[in-house]
Amino acid sequence: MELTANETVAATLQVLRDPAGIPSHPVVFQVLMVFTWVFHMLFVNITLGSALLSLYAFQHRQNRHWNQLSQGMTKAAKVSVSMLIVLGVAPLLFTQVIYDPQWYSSNVLSAAWAIGFIFTLILGYSSWFVFYFKNHDGVKNSAIWWGIFGLAMFVLDGFIMHVLSYQALLPEQWLSWYSADGQADMSGTGLHAYQPGRFLFFMAMSITVLGAFLSAYAHYYKVREDKEHHYLTFVNRLGRKFTFAGLLMQSVTFVWWLFDLPEHLQALQSPLSWGILLFMAVFAAIIKGKQSREMPASYFSLAMAFGLIALIGIFREALRIHYMLPFDYDITDYKVMEDIPSTALFFMTLIGVGGLVGGFFLTAIYKAGRTQGMYQASKQVSQLGSAAVGIMIGWIAVFFLTGIWVWLHNV
Amino acid sequence: MLETLGLYPSWYVPVIGSAWVMGIIGTIHVLASHTSVGASWLFALIETKAVRENKPELMEYIKKYGVFLLVFSYIIGSITGPGIWYAITVASPKGVGGLIHNFVWVWAAEWVYFTVEVIGVYALVYLIGKIDPKTHLKLTWTFALASWATMLLIVGILSFMMWPGNESWYQTGSTLDAFFNLNFFAHLGLRTAFMFAIAGAVGGILAATMKDKEVRIEITRFLSKMGIAGVFLGLIMWMWYVQTLPENARIIMQTQLPSYIAPTLFAVLAATLIYFAWSAWKPLQLKQGFAVAMTAIIAIAGLWPEERSRESIRKPYVAGQYIYSNQTIARDVEGKQIKSNLPQIAEHGVLKTHPFTPVSLREVTETNRLQAGEFIAKVMCANCHSMENTGLRPMPQKLHGSTDVAMIKAYLGGALYNGTVPYMPRIPLPEFEQQLVAEYLASLSQPQAAMKQLTLAESR
Ligand code: HEC
Ligand code: HEM
Repeated sequence: MELTANETVAATLQVLRDPAGIPSHPVVFQVLMVFTWVFHMLFVNITLGSALLSLYAFQHRQNRHWNQLSQGMTKAAKVSVSMLIVLGVAPLLFTQVIYDPQWYSSNVLSAAWAIGFIFTLILGYSSWFVFYFKNHDGVKNSAIWWGIFGLAMFVLDGFIMHVLSYQALLPEQWLSWYSADGQADMSGTGLHAYQPGRFLFFMAMSITVLGAFLSAYAHYYKVREDKEHHYLTFVNRLGRKFTFAGLLMQSVTFVWWLFDLPEHLQALQSPLSWGILLFMAVFAAIIKGKQSREMPASYFSLAMAFGLIALIGIFREALRIHYMLPFDYDITDYKVMEDIPSTALFFMTLIGVGGLVGGFFLTAIYKAGRTQGMYQASKQVSQLGSAAVGIMIGWIAVFFLTGIWVWLHNV
Repeated sequence: MLETLGLYPSWYVPVIGSAWVMGIIGTIHVLASHTSVGASWLFALIETKAVRENKPELMEYIKKYGVFLLVFSYIIGSITGPGIWYAITVASPKGVGGLIHNFVWVWAAEWVYFTVEVIGVYALVYLIGKIDPKTHLKLTWTFALASWATMLLIVGILSFMMWPGNESWYQTGSTLDAFFNLNFFAHLGLRTAFMFAIAGAVGGILAATMKDKEVRIEITRFLSKMGIAGVFLGLIMWMWYVQTLPENARIIMQTQLPSYIAPTLFAVLAATLIYFAWSAWKPLQLKQGFAVAMTAIIAIAGLWPEERSRESIRKPYVAGQYIYSNQTIARDVEGKQIKSNLPQIAEHGVLKTHPFTPVSLREVTETNRLQAGEFIAKVMCANCHSMENTGLRPMPQKLHGSTDVAMIKAYLGGALYNGTVPYMPRIPLPEFEQQLVAEYLASLSQPQAAMKQLTLAESR
C-alpha cells in the first residue's frame, strides 16, 4: 500500500517523537511555551531597540541629553541580553517537549548555523560589553564600531532563530534539503527557508517596544531628583514617537507576512489576524492622541506592548498548529507518561523560589534604583529577604531528604 | 510501507567530529559555571565576615569579582549553557530528546533558578553600597544557595547520561528513580569540590589587583584555604565517584583512556596544591599573571581531559544506557513503554527504515552502492569515528588501512552485529548492508579498491 506524500511526512513526524513520552498533559507545555516566549520576545525587542538607539544617540552625543541617553541605552541593552537569553531557555525547553520532531530536524539540517549562533552570540555580547565599558564621557568616535558589531551579531542571531523556527514548519521539504544530488548532505551549512515579512515584523516590533520602554524608563526615574526633569520629558517624547513609528512598520510587515502564508492556512480570514491589526491601530491612535495632549510618562505603553507581544505569541502558535494540520500532527495525542513528583517540583519551585527569591531580588533592585543614596530596607522588604533565605534552605533540605529516601528505597 | 525508525538527519563534521564541538563548548561552560557557583559561596562567606567584623573594605573585592563574574561567567556561562544543549541537539538529537522527555520538569525548575540567578547577580553587584548591609547579606546568601541549587538539579541529569544508577528506573520510569542514586551523590560532591577550587583560582586574578595590602593578604589566604579544601574534598569524592560507575564504564576507563590522561590529571592536581599552598604562604607574591596561568592550566590540562574522559567512558550510550550515540534505542524500557530499535534494524536494515534516506538511495543499484554504503556508515558510525585519516578515532586507522572487504564485513557481521565490543553500540546490520558498508570503508583507504569492487560487482 502506497502512502501519499503527506501521509509519509505524517508517519515520519510520529516516529520522530521521543519514545519516552511526556510527563504531563501536552497543553500544559504548550501554554508554558507560549507564555515564556512572550517574555523572551519582550527582551529581544528591548535589546534590539535600545542597542539601535544607543548607537544613534552616540552619534549625537555633543548634546547632553543624547549623551546621557546613549549611555543609559547601552546599559539597558547589556542587561536585557542577559534576560533574553535566560528567557529564551524556557520556550527552548518546552518547544522540544511537544514539537521535538520539528525542532530537531530543523536544527540538524542547519547545524552549523545553530552552533554558529552560539559563537556569534558570545562574540556579539562581548563586543557589546566593550562598547559599554568605553561609552562614558569623553569616549572616542571609533568606539561605535564595537557597538555596531554587537548589534549586527544580535540581528544575525535573531535571523538564525527565525530560520530555525520557520524551517520547523515545513516538514514536507526536509528530505529534499537533506538530499543534495541524491546524496545525504550532512554538513548542516545550509539555511533552507526564511520568510522576510515575518522576520521584519519581529524587527519592527523592536521599535514599538523601544518606545514603550522609554516611556516606562522616564516614568521610573521621575522620583529621582538627580535625574533632570527636562531629560525625562525628552525621553518620554521620544518614546511616544518610536512607538507610533514602530506600530506603522509593524502593520505593513504584518500584512506582508499574512500574504506570504500558504493559502490553506486562511490567515486572512482569521479573526485573530484582524484582531491584531485592530489592536495595533487602537494602540497607535491612543499614542497619537496622547502626544497632542502631552500626557505624562507612564507604564501604559509597556503594558500595551506586552499585550501585543502576547497576541503575537498566540498567533504564532495558532499558525504552527495550522501548518501541521495536513500532516495530522496534533500535540494532544502525544504519549503521556504522567510523572507527578517532578511536575510538583517545577510548580513548587516556580511559586516558592520564583515568587519569593525572584520577588526579593526585583523588589530590592526596584526600590534601591528609585532611591538616591543608600536604601534602608523597610520592614516588609527585610522580612521578604529572610523568607527568601528560608525558602532556599527549606528547598535544599527537602531535595536531600527526598533523594536519600529514594536511594534507600531502591537499594 | 515499512515501519520507519525515529532517526533524525545526521550532522557530520569532518575531521574533529561533532563530539569535539560538544567537548569544546562543554569545557568552556563547565569552567564558567563552576566558577560562578563557587564564587557565589565565596561572596557569601566573605561578606558574612565583612558584616560581622565590620570590615566594609572587603566588599570592594566582592564588587570587583562580581563585575568580572558578570562579564566572564554570565556572558560566557549563560550562552554556553544553551550552547551545550544546541551542540548535543545537533550532534545527537535523540540523546537530548531522551533527556528532555525524562527530565523536562527538573530542567524547568532549573530554569526558574537560572532566571532568578541572573537577576540576582545584577542585584548583588550593583546594590553594594546602595542598600543596607544586612539586607545585602541576605541577598548574597540567597544567591549562593540558589546558585548551588542549579548545580543540584543539573548534576542529576548529567549523571543520568552516565546511567540511572540502578535497575529500578527501567521498570518504573519515574523521574525520581532516574535522578537519585549514589552515582549522583558522588558526582555532586565532586562538582561541589571542584567549584571551590576553581573559584579559588579565578579569585586570585582579582585578589592580585587589590590596592589595600591588608585586604589583599586576607583575601588571598581565604582563597587558598578554600582552594585546598576543594582539592582534597575533590580527591575523596573522585575515589567514591569511580566506585559508583557502571561496569562497562569502569572497563573503558581501565582499558580505553589514552595513557596521558591519568598522569596529566595528577600533575594538574599537584600544581594546584602547590599554587594554593604557596599563595597562602606568600600572599603578596601572587601576581595576576600566575592566577590567569593557573586557571588556564586547570581548564586546558584538567577540565578538557576530564570532560573528554567522562564522555568516552559513557560510550556507547548518550543517555541512561538505553540510547546509543548513533541515535538508535538499545533496549526496551518497560517503565516508559520504550522499544528497542535493534530488531527492526536487523530485519530491514537502515536504508529502508531511516526516514531521511535520500530517495535515490532507497533502491540500491550498481551505480550508487558506494553512496549507499557511505550513508549507512555515516549514520551508524560517524558519531564516534571520523571518516578521514585524522581526527576523532579515524576509521581508516581503526581498520589499519584495510582494503579487504571480506574482512571488514566479517567484523561488521561479528563483533558489531553481536554487540560484543563494550565501547561500541550493537549494530546489527543485515548481510546486504554489511556488504555495502564494508565496500565503502574499504574504499576509504584505497579509492581504487572500491572501483575494482564496483567493476567486479558489475561483471557479476
Ligand atoms: C558510540 C560510539 C561508536 C560508534 C557509533 C562506533 N564506534 Fe567503533 N569504536 C568506538 C570506540 C570508543 C572505539 C575504541 C577506540 C580506540 O581504541 O581508540 C572504537 C573502535 C573501533 C574499531 C577498532 C577495533 C576495536 O574493536 O577497537 C573499529 C574497526 C570500529 N570501531 C569500527 C566501527 C564501525 C564500522 C562502526 C559503525 C558501523 C563503529 N565503529 C561505530 C566507538 C564507536
Ligand atoms: C540576540 C539573540 C536573540 C535574538 C535576536 C532572538 C530573536 C528571536 C526571534 C526574532 C524569534 C522569533 C522567530 C520566528 O518566529 O520567526 C525567536 C524565537 C525563539 N528564540 Fe530567540 N533570539 C535570540 C536568542 C535566543 C536564545 C539565546 C535562545 C535560547 C536560549 C532563544 C530561544 C528562542 C526560542 C525557543 C524561540 C521560539 C522557537 C519556536 O517556537 O519554534 N533565543 N527568537
